[in-house]
Amino acid sequence: MFPISDDNPTFNRPYATYFLFGLNIAAWLLLQGAGFGTQLDSSVCSYGLIPSELFGGAQIGVCDTRNNLGTLSVISSMFMHGSWMHIAGNMLFLWVFGDNVEDVMGPIKFIVFYLLGGITAAAFQVFSDPSSSIPMVGASGAIGAVMGGYLLLYPKARIKMFIFIFIFFTTFRVPAFVMLGYWIAVQMISAVSVQSATGGVAFWAHIGGFAFGAITIHLFKDKQMIVSHPEYGWNKNTNPADIWKDPQNRK
Amino acid sequence: MERSTEQKVDIKIDQRPARTEDIPSIVAMIDIIDDDDAEACDHDFRKHGVDDHWVAFCGSKLVGITGYRLVNNTVGSGWLSWTYVHPEFQRQGIGQSLLTTAINTAKEQSCHQLFVKVSNYIESNGVSTYANAIRLYEKNGFEFILKNPELYDAKEDQLIYRLILSNEDRPEINDEKPNVKFTGIFELVESDGAYTFDWDVKKNPLWGSRSFSKDDLIIGLQAVKEQGGRVVFLTFPSNWPLIHKPLQEAGFKFIGELENYYEPGVDEMHFCHDLGGI
Repeated sequence: MFPISDDNPTFNRPYATYFLFGLNIAAWLLLQGAGFGTQLDSSVCSYGLIPSELFGGAQIGVCDTRNNLGTLSVISSMFMHGSWMHIAGNMLFLWVFGDNVEDVMGPIKFIVFYLLGGITAAAFQVFSDPSSSIPMVGASGAIGAVMGGYLLLYPKARIKMFIFIFIFFTTFRVPAFVMLGYWIAVQMISAVSVQSATGGVAFWAHIGGFAFGAITIHLFKDKQMIVSHPEYGWNKNTNPADIWKDPQNRK
Repeated sequence: MERSTEQKVDIKIDQRPARTEDIPSIVAMIDIIDDDDAEACDHDFRKHGVDDHWVAFCGSKLVGITGYRLVNNTVGSGWLSWTYVHPEFQRQGIGQSLLTTAINTAKEQSCHQLFVKVSNYIESNGVSTYANAIRLYEKNGFEFILKNPELYDAKEDQLIYRLILSNEDRPEINDEKPNVKFTGIFELVESDGAYTFDWDVKKNPLWGSRSFSKDDLIIGLQAVKEQGGRVVFLTFPSNWPLIHKPLQEAGFKFIGELENYYEPGVDEMHFCHDLGGI
């Protein structure tokens, strides 16, 4: 089950979402060999974030060599992925939620929001297991921030979900707070119940990114850009033109 | 038996599409009735041409003019243009004939609605200069919809009438937030002291303010006052939500709207400010 679209119009063309989407795809194709051959493993080790190395640890785990990016790997890892499913899932979520979040802050602030979300997500994951030598890759943390922001901005927006069971599939719509609430609940339950030492999904990164987005979205949003947004908030937005109903404002 | 109040005399009137060489005669005829309009008409025809205009002749004498212009950036809205009948030839069906031609042609060109502006000027003898014109418009189905108060002069309003040529559904329209920036002020054509602001829609900024503020409006209002203006009129599409707060804060009053002006579902909202408190 995953989201495929939302009933949430945008006022502006989401240039930053397109840009980030393109950057992730370009990294996947050019730096990671589209997941084929040895380029995938080497790129994960070269550009991924390895917590133990970040703190100067000498241990080398699944990678033969250290990456030389240092703290820059916090950023580079956000544009790396581990498989076709990994990048497809992340890009789908970015596509569905990114445009609406960018729509309330503009492209420059959105890129800053996205990167800070990714950095916070990385910090959560690193501090959950600082000694881990498993490289962490993926845009999930940054996209988690986008999802956290989306939840606070548009809790009642309708999300179109796709579900398939064996050969049957269908779509249905749910409010964003249901879909995103379910998603973050799953991340939290998984984070406390699944051991990550052997690799897998970076649940703490998802939680960290999501928390960053939900907490800081109101600092990033632009007051003018949320005016009259049909899906903003829990209550239906009042029409700004209603002020002219006051006889004092009429000729 | 039906009785007509029109005094018809047996004269032969020819009607044809207007040509550029008719402009001097058109202007001369309008000048008999309204010299301000004559000047504005001359400027308008030389700038925009005489397409979709028709003239009536009695022999070689030009005795009537009408026409319309479709509005750019709208879906099927048009304005009836200069519509005058020579004072000596009024009430003889010339205006009706010209108007029928204009309305039928507008319909053929998918014009959904025609608007016309007319003054409510009262002569010193108490007679309305444009009473005949208003009667003609109303007889042809135009309905009064909006008054821009004191637009032409301190005692002369602009009345707007509308003729619906085809009924359009009114769909739900998404709001738009263009980056509107004022670029200057100018006095409205034919008016004495009524101004409006020039504005451009600029590319949305990567961050920062999206549209004009109350302070931007105040700067414009002060500039109008310095130029000796009396009143400022502004119009905006109804689906631009960012305009309302700054307009209200700057003291603009809402006059009314021309429904479905830009497209079905998007009206043209009219606002004015009498410069009080500026």
